[in-house]
Amino acid sequence: MLALRGIEKSYPLAGGTLPVLKGIDLNIDQGEMVAIMGSSGSGKSTLLNVLGLLDGFDVGSYTLGDVDMSGLSEKQGARYRSRFLGFVFQSFNLIAFKTALENVALPLFYQKVARRERQQRAMEMLGKMGMDDRADHLPSELSGGQKQRVAIARALITSPRVILADEPTGALDSTTSHEVMQVLREVNASGITVIIVTHEADIAAQCDRTIRLHDGVIIEDGRSGEVVEPTARGANTPD
Amino acid sequence: MFNRETWIEIAHTVTANPLRTALTGLSVGLGIFILVVMQGLGFGLQNGVQQDFGDEARNTVWVRTGTTTLPFRGRQPNRRVQMRNEDEQRITEQVIDAPAWSGRRMMWGSTVGYQSEQGNYPIVGVEPDFDDLELLPLMGGRWLHADDLAKESKVCVVGENLLDELFKQDEAIGAFVTLNGITFRVVGHFSKNGRWGNSMVYIPLTTMQRVFTGSDEVDQMVLSTGDLDLEGSTAMVEAVDGDLRLRHSVHPDDQRAVRVRDNQEEYAMFERIFTGIRLFIWIIGGFTLLAGAIGVANIMAIVVKERTVEIGVRKALGATSGSILSLIVIEAISLTLISGALGLIAGVATLNVVAPYAQHDYFANPEVNLRVTLTALVVLVVAGAISGLVPALRAVRIRPIEALRYE
Ligand SMILES: Nc1ncnc2c1ncn2[C@@H]1O[C@H](COP(=O)(O)OP(=O)(O)O)[C@@H](O)[C@H]1O
Ligand SMILES: [Mg+2]
Repeated sequence: MLALRGIEKSYPLAGGTLPVLKGIDLNIDQGEMVAIMGSSGSGKSTLLNVLGLLDGFDVGSYTLGDVDMSGLSEKQGARYRSRFLGFVFQSFNLIAFKTALENVALPLFYQKVARRERQQRAMEMLGKMGMDDRADHLPSELSGGQKQRVAIARALITSPRVILADEPTGALDSTTSHEVMQVLREVNASGITVIIVTHEADIAAQCDRTIRLHDGVIIEDGRSGEVVEPTARGANTPD
Repeated sequence: MFNRETWIEIAHTVTANPLRTALTGLSVGLGIFILVVMQGLGFGLQNGVQQDFGDEARNTVWVRTGTTTLPFRGRQPNRRVQMRNEDEQRITEQVIDAPAWSGRRMMWGSTVGYQSEQGNYPIVGVEPDFDDLELLPLMGGRWLHADDLAKESKVCVVGENLLDELFKQDEAIGAFVTLNGITFRVVGHFSKNGRWGNSMVYIPLTTMQRVFTGSDEVDQMVLSTGDLDLEGSTAMVEAVDGDLRLRHSVHPDDQRAVRVRDNQEEYAMFERIFTGIRLFIWIIGGFTLLAGAIGVANIMAIVVKERTVEIGVRKALGATSGSILSLIVIEAISLTLISGALGLIAGVATLNVVAPYAQHDYFANPEVNLRVTLTALVVLVVAGAISGLVPALRAVRIRPIEALRYE
């Protein structure tokens, strides 16, 4: 489903470049639930952004479905993003002046779905997240967990094949975190690939597979549980 | 691009931050408002002065005399210089070659009676050419003829105020009136634009000299310069001025004793003043527009900066750069357009409220130059569009993830 081959990426710095991804090889199958772990600055977000076509890369190849994603134009990128991918962010990134319903419906606007249908589908999706009674609320009127549910509903509205979540529970307390993880597991159970960046071991433990990044390379990749053992760079070490 | 959804989006963002919207609106609206009002006032001033000139033909020279202020050739100052028929005759026959002229003498506050009505009006003695020199539109009957002057006829032409005040419903032409007790026949009546010109009673100068003033004195002379250019009329002025000073022993620097005023030159002077005023208004207007444009640019830059994260989110949700660009640019355009239009309306309304209170000898009918104002509005809207476009282009060029990292 997703295949990265020899991906390298560096950021331009004042005195040269900062290599962040240093040769990533990675296959993720349809329907997997994957956690990407690693200490702060190890390149987790960068990797997720490459996977999400939000950011380019310098070297290597990326195939999504059967399509080569290297050298996509900005417009093509936007189209693949809107057709295949859904995003969930740590800080929710709901648009402040739009209601929950309007936020959820927004991706359909960019797919040129008619207004009535947009609202209907957004309402349904909010219902699945148990949020239909909050449809008319502005983000500022919602709790953290509720905001993340709206954000997940927004990510799911376009029926993506992959959900990419960057620290989706990073801003939530542990009870709410588990509720959100529960939602993401249900999403995964419906056949959607879920990729979660996290630095919390118990979040990673709820995924099928954990990939550990260190300094821009994958140092561990395996079934969850296998990697949760406390190592020198313990997963429990806060960063 | 201009579909309903875009407008709903724009309505959303515009109302999301009312202060920001108000500030943008204010900078644009105020700019247009100031421009409109200044244009209007400038125009009113020009109108007023032009109207004042409208009383007299532009190609005339007025000659007046007064008392001397400087001693000259053994004569003491404070001597009264009086023009006489012989002066007029000499000047028009020997000194200059004027196509038309008239002597003029006025008796203020004379009593004019018709049947049981009476009132005070100025009586003015003039010659047949005078109606062309002073631009007196005849509304009925006839003007004074050369024959009236030759025969010293007791006939008069009255302004339309007398029709209202003395004759009421009666037919004025052919009616007999008493001027300071002496009976005259009304042969015509005229109507001028505004003011006291309409209260005048014109009679032949010769009749006035014989019946009322008993002398050959002339108070003013009006000379036509025909189609002479400014240079030619100036030469005429100098010739008349020089002749009168010579004949009446007036010092060349005496400004009061002999005054020869060229309307054409005066008009040219006003023209220069108005060119200056117009230029001034343009410069002020230009700066106002510039300030408005800078205000819009500034606010749009802040708007886009504030919305960088939002732009990133939208891109992550499938928005293309084009859709985001058009959103911001249309927003900038509609903001400037609406507030500019409001400023325009406010400016026009202000002028309309002020206009009735601002009628003055040198101020009339302040008007809005719509072409200039619309140009200004377009300039501001374009400035708004560009000033939205520049930061928006920068913002959409940021990859979505950098925008998301923004906070
Ligand atoms: N836009 C950028 N420009 C320059 N350096 C960046 C940029 N984004 C990330 N980095 C750097 O790349 C490294 C990896 O960042 P990131 O992928 O966000 O790490 P993580 O998510 O694992 O904490 C960090 O050192 C970070 O400072
Ligand atoms: Mg990160």
